[in-house]
Formats: sequence, C-alpha cells, structure tokens
Amino acid sequence: MQKFESDICVIGGGISAAMLTQKLAELRPGVSIHIVEAGRRLFDLENRMEYRRRSIAYGENAWPGDFIEDQAGKGVISRTMAVGGSAMHWGGTCNRFSEEDLRLKSIYGLYVDWPLEWRELEKYYCEAERRLGVSGEPSPLPEDARSEPYPMQAMELTYNLLELKKWGEKSGIPFWSTPQAKNTVAYGGRAKCIRCNTCAICPTGARYSPDFTFKQLLANKQVALHDQIQIRRLVMDEDSAKITTATGVNRSTGEAVEYRAPIFVLASGYAWSPHLLLLSRNSRFPNGLANGSGLVGKYMNGHEFISAFIELDSQIYPGMNETHALISRQYFRCKPSDTYIRHDLRIWESAVGHEPRLRAKDGKLLLGDDLLSDWRTRAQRGTARVRGYYDVHPDKNSSLTLDEAAKNKFGDPMPKIEHKLDAATVSRQPATRQHLQNVFTKLAKNNNGKILSTSEGGYLDHPAGGCRMGRNPSESVCDSFGQTHDHENLFVVGAPTLPNAGCTNGTLTFVALTLRSADRIAQMLPKHGL
Amino acid sequence: MRRRNVLQWLAGFAASLRAWSQTTAFPGDQDVALRNLASLVLPSAEKPDRIVDRFVQYVRDYRPGADTEHGYGFTRVRPKPPSPAQGYIRQLAALPVPLTKAAIAAALEQSQIKDLPRIPEGKSVIADLMSFYFQSAEANDFCYGAAIQRDTCRGLEGSSRKPQPLKERV
Repeated sequence: MQKFESDICVIGGGISAAMLTQKLAELRPGVSIHIVEAGRRLFDLENRMEYRRRSIAYGENAWPGDFIEDQAGKGVISRTMAVGGSAMHWGGTCNRFSEEDLRLKSIYGLYVDWPLEWRELEKYYCEAERRLGVSGEPSPLPEDARSEPYPMQAMELTYNLLELKKWGEKSGIPFWSTPQAKNTVAYGGRAKCIRCNTCAICPTGARYSPDFTFKQLLANKQVALHDQIQIRRLVMDEDSAKITTATGVNRSTGEAVEYRAPIFVLASGYAWSPHLLLLSRNSRFPNGLANGSGLVGKYMNGHEFISAFIELDSQIYPGMNETHALISRQYFRCKPSDTYIRHDLRIWESAVGHEPRLRAKDGKLLLGDDLLSDWRTRAQRGTARVRGYYDVHPDKNSSLTLDEAAKNKFGDPMPKIEHKLDAATVSRQPATRQHLQNVFTKLAKNNNGKILSTSEGGYLDHPAGGCRMGRNPSESVCDSFGQTHDHENLFVVGAPTLPNAGCTNGTLTFVALTLRSADRIAQMLPKHGL
Repeated sequence: MRRRNVLQWLAGFAASLRAWSQTTAFPGDQDVALRNLASLVLPSAEKPDRIVDRFVQYVRDYRPGADTEHGYGFTRVRPKPPSPAQGYIRQLAALPVPLTKAAIAAALEQSQIKDLPRIPEGKSVIADLMSFYFQSAEANDFCYGAAIQRDTCRGLEGSSRKPQPLKERV
C-alpha cells in the first residue's frame, strides 16, 4: 500500500479544487497539499486544435479519455471525470445569482434562507471573477450592483447578437452580454479569445479551464496532484469524530493507497461528494459520514428550463459566435405579493429552421442546386434560440442514493440521483410555464416572429446540493464555509453545499463559496506547513 | 476449442484488415461512380470534384472505435462504428449507369434516409456525401454569400460587423 501524508488532502480535482488550492497556497505558503482525482490529467493543450477539428468533423470526443467506464451514476448529467472536471468543457458562463436566492424564506416564505449574507457572497463573487478571468458587462439594474468592476471588458457582441438584442429589446426587455470566463485580452497567463466558436473545446486556453491553474501550482511545486486515484472511503477516529484517512486505489496500477491529513476537503461536485460520504459508513455514522442530520444526498437541486426557437425577420449569419449569448436579468426578482416566478432569459443565434434539408415542405427530394436554392430562400429569415432557466426548489427527498444494482469494478455502488421538487414549486409549475410561454410570445410579436418550437429540458440543469449548508445541524450537513457539522476537520466545498440552484448557471457561485471556504480552512492550517 | 478460437481470431483479423485496406484505398474502383454522384447531389458552382477529393480523404481518415461525445444531461458512452468505406463502395457499385435523380431517390428510400445527417453517419453514401458538404462551414458561407467562417478561429475584432460578402463564388 502506498501511504501519503500532507497538511490538507483535497478529494476531487475540478474547478473547486483548483480555486481552493490556488488560494490556500497563497494564504499559507509552504503547506503541503494533496489533490486526489479519480480521472486522468488532460494537460495536452497542444493537441486541442486537432481534437477540436475531429470533434467538428467526426463527432469524436473532444476530450479523449475524460471519463471512467465503470464510474457512472443514474441522473448524473455529465460523464466527465478527469482533472479539471466538467469545467474542462464548460461554456464559461459566469452569471451571478441574486440576493433573492439567498433569502427565499424571509422574502417569499419559501423553502429556506442561506446562512450567509448577500454582501458577503458578493465580495467572493468579485474574487472568483478575478481568479477565473471574467469578461462582462455590468447589469444596469440597481439590485445587481457590484463592488468591483469586471476584470475584463465584455466580449464584443457579434453582428448576430446586436440584431437579436435590437429585436429582444423591442419587447421592453433589456438584454446585455453574458459574462464569461473568456479572455477578451490576454489574462492570467492565458491567451486572448480568437473566436473559434467551440468553447466546449477551447483550443487556445482563452476560456478558463482548471488545468491552467493546476499546471501553475505544479510548476511552482505548491501542490501534489495524484490523478487516477479513486478514493473509496473516508475513515474516522471513533473518539474524536475527526477524519483521519482517505483510502482508495490507484486505478492505473491497482495498488491500494492511503492519505492522511489533519484536514480533508471534498471537492468532488454535487454527485461524487455526497456519494463518498454515503459510502463511508461506520458504527457511529451508520448512514454515512457527516450524516448525523440524515441529509447527505438530500435536497439535490438544479433548475428547470424551457427553450424556444423563434424565427424572425432579421439577417442572422449562423456561426458567428454560437457560444456567446445575451442575458436579461429582468425576471431575476419578483414582488413577494406576486406569484413566485423567477428566471433568467437568454438569447443565442441559431440556424434552426434554416439548415440545409433533403426534402422540401411538400416532400420533394432536393439535390444539388435545388437544395442550395431552397436553403438560400429560407436563410433570408433568422432564428433566435431563447431559453429561460427558472427557479425551482427541491423536496427533502430529492435524493442521491447508493444504487446497489450498479457497481463499479471495486464493488462500490454507484450514485443514483432522483430529483423531486417541493410541493410549493410543483403547485406553481403551470403558472411558471405559462409565464415563459407568454414571454416567448411577447418576443415573437416583433420582426414578424414565429415560434418554431418550444421544449422543456427534462432534467435539472446546473445541478447542486446533496450536502446543503445551514446554521442548524439538524437541517443541514455543513455550515456556510462547508465545514461539516459532524466532523470539524472535514469540509465540503462548491456545488454540494448549495441549498438551491437559483435561476442561472451555478459555476461562479460554486467558486465564490469555495473561495470563502478557503479563508476558513486557511485559518486552521499551520502558518509554515508541518 | 483453442483451435477454434485461433481460427475465429484469424477470421476477425482478416475482416479487420480488409476493412482497413478498403478504408485507406477508398473509393477503390468506384471513383467514377462517386464523382458522377457528386455531380448530381452537390451544387454545380462548387466544383464537385474538389469536394469529392476532400470527402475521400475524410473517409480515409475515419477512426473506427474512437470515443464520441458522451453528451450532457442524458449521457452515453459510444464508440465510433466501423469504417463506412466498405458500405459506401457497395452502395456506389449498386448505382445504375448512367445515374439519374430517380435512382438516387430510390437509393435514399432504400436506406430510409429522411434528412441530411449532421455529420456523415455511414448509412448512405449519398446522404453522407451531401452532409459532408452541405453541413460544412464552407457551404454555410456559400449559402449566405458571406465569409462567416464558422469553424475557423477568426479573432474577436470586427465581429460586430456583417461578415464580408463572398464575392468570388456567388
């Protein structure tokens, strides 16, 4: 068995781990940090242009080797398991939540309040934006006031987005550029964006991904990164309830491994963090570590979404920058006296309805020049892809459980996530859906618009939860710093700690909360290492 | 039993070798048939022979078994299927000479092709050749008469303006 010891052991190697360890290395230089990740490290920036090419041409995985065949769970929305995690292929969208997300109970009498103040979180949003390198246009709404400007100016709106902004604002809804972790100037040792239109595989590094942070930390010898190490259990000292050891196996050699540290941090995301806690049972915590409340794997959350494709009289040139969008925060808040409906509103360029097609509307086969002619005729109109992510709240039994019917090669049951919304959310669903349909209809009234289709997601996007934070140990797994109520030296950071997922992308919030956790963890670390 | 395994392995190896050789030599003796097909299904102004040359290279560079995108929301891990080259050659050989639009329609019907796939998927050489071109960034530019250059890294500057017109080929 291989044994390792450090001041802090971080389990999981995604964006939360990258941000946490970067900050800890700054606050406590000299501390020894182990980062342990089940997947491989994909640090081959030099190959990404070719991966991108083959992804476009052949539909090949742009991140070859970024998953583990036997490590999958039902209801887990991405198979990615590699150093960098889902943030290797994220779109880079960096929207903030709003104060309402943290004050649902006190403002609306719904669900629960977060155990921290908005002003406190806002400080960490600024830090997250600095560290990730976010380019953005400030929201003009006073409720969205910022204490610091964005680190970089917003990405220039393409001709398409300018056309779509004009169209959208005719409805009285203001739109602006979506903030993104994409460089509009060289920043953080990474290049300026050159608009490759494939942010899921950014071939230049202009879109932030955690591999850059890890490479910097490794180059400076500030961390030890152990990839392909599957942590299977956390072991607790029965008397003190402190976590003493993380045990696992090296996936490439099959050798058993053990990590010892005074502090452990779970940074494995909404699925694998609660999963590991549930796997780590003992006589004192028969339902899993940190689970005195019985809430590990409960209140799994995310947000619902409804999309529409709206055809309109505007010349849209599909492909100018399909990954950049407009956002409106108009509906981020609602009056307490009104039906509770909160959502963001996004507009992207789209080619839907104007793609080349093999058959005309009457079924006639189109070949060669006929096909091109048909395509050109239809291309005179444009299409907007519109989407609203809307706020929903989880039921306690919105759960992640261990699936005894699906095990990995080590015999560990895999996670199974079954989302369930609370009764108040379910009761207002029809009104929410109708409201979004009304918004789409309102937008379509301009430029001779026509709604081509609408659809619902069928899953909760930007998922979070499973170890929700709170002040009361009987109603939560950890406090607002991610420190678990049951084990003083065990932290959970990022997505799992969110009680609810707001109504827009969550990554910036996961990072902001993680950076706040780092401040607390740093206080517990020795000043000059062991 | 062991002998049967060896024979099975040899048969499998021979089939793989045949598939590989047909992929690297694609379109084999069906070059004329492929070019005749292209002249009917691709835009005349786009010099179909040029597109055929690129399609041939595309087929030769195909990697059976490569991982595909595993998706988001609803995920699946699925490798790329075997090379389509053998199937393409068979389908090209079955096309009549001279080739007509009616024969193309019948072949598409037989392959149960309803629309153009997003990328070539190996079911029909006709649909895949058309998809290879019409779903490309180049065709997108040709349709719109503008240098959108969807798949090219183009820089941010000037993106707020209309793409430049494609004067030379419209």
